[in-house]
Amino acid sequence: MSHDRARTDGPAPALELRGISKRYGPVVACDAVDLTVQRGEVHGLLGENGAGKSTLMKVLLGLVHADAGEILRDGARVEVHTPLQAAELGLGMVHQHFSLIEPLTVWENVALGEPGRVDRNTICADVEAVGARYGLAVDPTATVERLSAGERQRVELIKALRRDPKVLVLDEPTSVLTIAESAALFEVLRTAVAAEGRGVILISHKLAEITAATDVVSVLRRGRLAFHCRTADTSAPELARQMVGRDVSLRAEGAALGLVVTDDPAKHLTPVLAGGLGAVPAEPPAPEASADVPGTAALALHGLCVAGPDGRTLLDHLDLEVATGEIVALYGVEGNGQATLGDLLSGLMAPDAGEVRVDGRPVSLDRPGALHHAGVGVIPEDRHRSGVVLDMSVADNLVMTDLRRFSGRLLMRRAQIRAQAEELVERFAIRTPSVDAPLRTLSGGNQQRVVLARELSANPVVLVAAQPTHGLDVGAIEDMYARLREAAASGVAVLLISTELEEVMALASRIAVISSGRITGVLDVADASPQRLGMLVGGEAA
Amino acid sequence: MTTVSGPAGTPRRPLAGYIVGSVGLRRPSADAWRTAGITVLCVAVAVGLAALLVTFADGSPVEVVDALFTGSVADTAGWSQTLVNAAPLLLVALGACIANRAGVFNIGQEGQLLIGAMVGCFVALRLQGPGWIVITVALVAAAFGGGAWSGISAAMYYTRGTNVVVTTLLLTFIAAQVVQFAVNSPSLLQEEGMGSGPARPQSDAVPDYLRLASFGQYPDLTIGVGVIVAVVATVVLAVLLARSRWGFRLTMLGLNPMAARHAGVRASRLGGSALVLSGAFAGLAGGVILLGTVFRLQPAISNNFGWDGLLVALVARSRPGLALPVAVLFGALRSGSSYLAATGVPDYLVDVVQALLVLAFVVPPVLSTLWARRLRNRAPVADTPARPTAAAPAKEEVQV
Repeated sequence: MSHDRARTDGPAPALELRGISKRYGPVVACDAVDLTVQRGEVHGLLGENGAGKSTLMKVLLGLVHADAGEILRDGARVEVHTPLQAAELGLGMVHQHFSLIEPLTVWENVALGEPGRVDRNTICADVEAVGARYGLAVDPTATVERLSAGERQRVELIKALRRDPKVLVLDEPTSVLTIAESAALFEVLRTAVAAEGRGVILISHKLAEITAATDVVSVLRRGRLAFHCRTADTSAPELARQMVGRDVSLRAEGAALGLVVTDDPAKHLTPVLAGGLGAVPAEPPAPEASADVPGTAALALHGLCVAGPDGRTLLDHLDLEVATGEIVALYGVEGNGQATLGDLLSGLMAPDAGEVRVDGRPVSLDRPGALHHAGVGVIPEDRHRSGVVLDMSVADNLVMTDLRRFSGRLLMRRAQIRAQAEELVERFAIRTPSVDAPLRTLSGGNQQRVVLARELSANPVVLVAAQPTHGLDVGAIEDMYARLREAAASGVAVLLISTELEEVMALASRIAVISSGRITGVLDVADASPQRLGMLVGGEAA
Repeated sequence: MTTVSGPAGTPRRPLAGYIVGSVGLRRPSADAWRTAGITVLCVAVAVGLAALLVTFADGSPVEVVDALFTGSVADTAGWSQTLVNAAPLLLVALGACIANRAGVFNIGQEGQLLIGAMVGCFVALRLQGPGWIVITVALVAAAFGGGAWSGISAAMYYTRGTNVVVTTLLLTFIAAQVVQFAVNSPSLLQEEGMGSGPARPQSDAVPDYLRLASFGQYPDLTIGVGVIVAVVATVVLAVLLARSRWGFRLTMLGLNPMAARHAGVRASRLGGSALVLSGAFAGLAGGVILLGTVFRLQPAISNNFGWDGLLVALVARSRPGLALPVAVLFGALRSGSSYLAATGVPDYLVDVVQALLVLAFVVPPVLSTLWARRLRNRAPVADTPARPTAAAPAKEEVQV
């Protein structure tokens, strides 16, 4: 408790965590973390993936039991063993991935988990009242699966606010929101905090949000509280340094931390504000061949249409071209068809209409593996789902898309597989005890490297990278960026599917924006600004 | 650290580690030792329970063990009977291994075996020719019959998504009806009445020259052709699953169908053929029973070999190499059970014992996983005593 707390004398803080420790086997997730949330304060909790933010909040909400430490509400020590106890103590949480049940209506979701009698009319009235108070309009009788991501977030917020929480925790609340929706969310938080004296904990890995929306900020690094300060007294670069534990390089890490690079000679990192006040990068980061190079595009998507099983349009006449040696980013808010496109380019599904051409030749999409053989390498959005087989060895995972190359008429050539695996492990700096180790035992970053190594070892014409840095730490992100640039420089057409504005600004030479399964616009990175992209993301022409 | 030991420095897993590792379901690791320990414990509990049951049935556990031993492995005659029982069990288990590897769970071996026996019987009784040709054709036809029967399930699954477990199971009952019909229809397979009395619901006996040969004469050890076929098939399949491209793709499909599709595997073709192949092995087992021991088609010819063979594969965790000893063990239980009558203990008790053993072998990986999860959740920091809340563990599991 040696940290200066910016604490005012007066009433006890709404919430105080003292010396919370939690260890999973040899891994220390939280190491004597202190955190104080005053009434009427938005407290930012910042940290890389795996820094211990989630564990700390799980402890707070009774999902996980701390090994040591205590929790105080309004100065009184409390025990939180279950989420129900947490709710009784006035602790509410909005999870990063919505915990709504899609086939149910809004009011049913709001009522879910409450003890006692369920009265439809009361709850509907409540939903409308809460919605009116905070400006969160949503129809209580609507079915959740028909709502957009932004509306679903509103439902989550209403659900939490209706229980009148004294402390509200928001875990990465903006990952599925457009810039405008994020701005609206922070407005609501202000109202809930300032007018009603609640405490809010805002968890994020985006510096821009933290600096824009919080009063106080705490930084976690490797399970320890690394930094604590009033937000007004610090700066984005300082926070970035505290988060990573060293000075961050301008490009790769800046983007990884949610900063857009400016050409300011003083090398200032400027956060992109949620309201859209960010700086425009003057220098296109990828100096590779531009789109108007004559000749056929390495990857051409024409009129791709996909309808979901429920008849919803997932992709709507999507057209996109990527030329040799360029990085084109497909930017948009999560859930606008990126996952479908990723599946399609991984060869997991066939479109209802449209075609994919690689090097000018059409690819028959309902033959498994056809895209791979045509020269399309894919880093899938969810590597555990379609990128790797966790229970097979590193070596097996490194060769599994090119089995014919590594087998005779019948049997696999083991020596050849080992040799190839060892070479790739060396070349891509994959940290593994052995090429025979099950892939499951590798860290996320190294699993991702296995995927990248395999896909690049086939000498692809096109590399599709879907959210390639999700869940990786800064070092691994930096490495991934370098590899993608390297691939483009060596003549591979790279399609980067990303929801991170900073990432696409840092890597791509052209940015295509996807909204509701359609391309709403394609901008050269020199012409792109957060405002213009934000409008395209919302489905408007810029 | 990018150090990877070269081929020369590859540590060979010690044999014990290999065996224990191969027991672990799909993930040989340090967990395997824990699993092995739990397995020993579970088997001990199963044996204890079995002894208790025997005592309740007014028998003496010692006598029962003695009878089982005498009937199965005490002398060459016992061994001969054990091997005769083990062969069809092993064939069925091999088929189940293939389907399980591909991630399609075929549980209809009993029916596939019946259909196989029926088709084999039809060929054996109708086809004229030299003995070895007719025998070969009959066995191949039996395999085709079983394969076709599971092929129905494969077709339903890959065209309409109908659950394989449900279709293979229900088709077993249809198979039983089909065989009943065949042995009750004089135009199909029902025996020609011997003049006196009505014809019984069974086929004519297969002529002597079409019966599977055995090597060795009673009282020496006799080994039938069925046993040889099963052992050869085990070796071939073990090598193919572990080393071949087909085995690699099959394993990939079973562990992650999405990744397999990305890697160019067409699930309907590879998974469908695995299902057909597993039915074919069951059908072949039916053919072996028909031509090796029973010699005529009867509705009860399957005699639970299909179900028990599936259990063999379960206990062997879909590894052909392990299926071999397990099949011998189950075969020994079968031959031993015929000696139980002398002890006054009902012979169906052996089925109960067998079921207990299966549970003892199938449950440990689950327990081991649960235990590992518990350890992860509750690993206490050294300097603070774990909070003594009795209700906490249960709650935690709900949250996981």
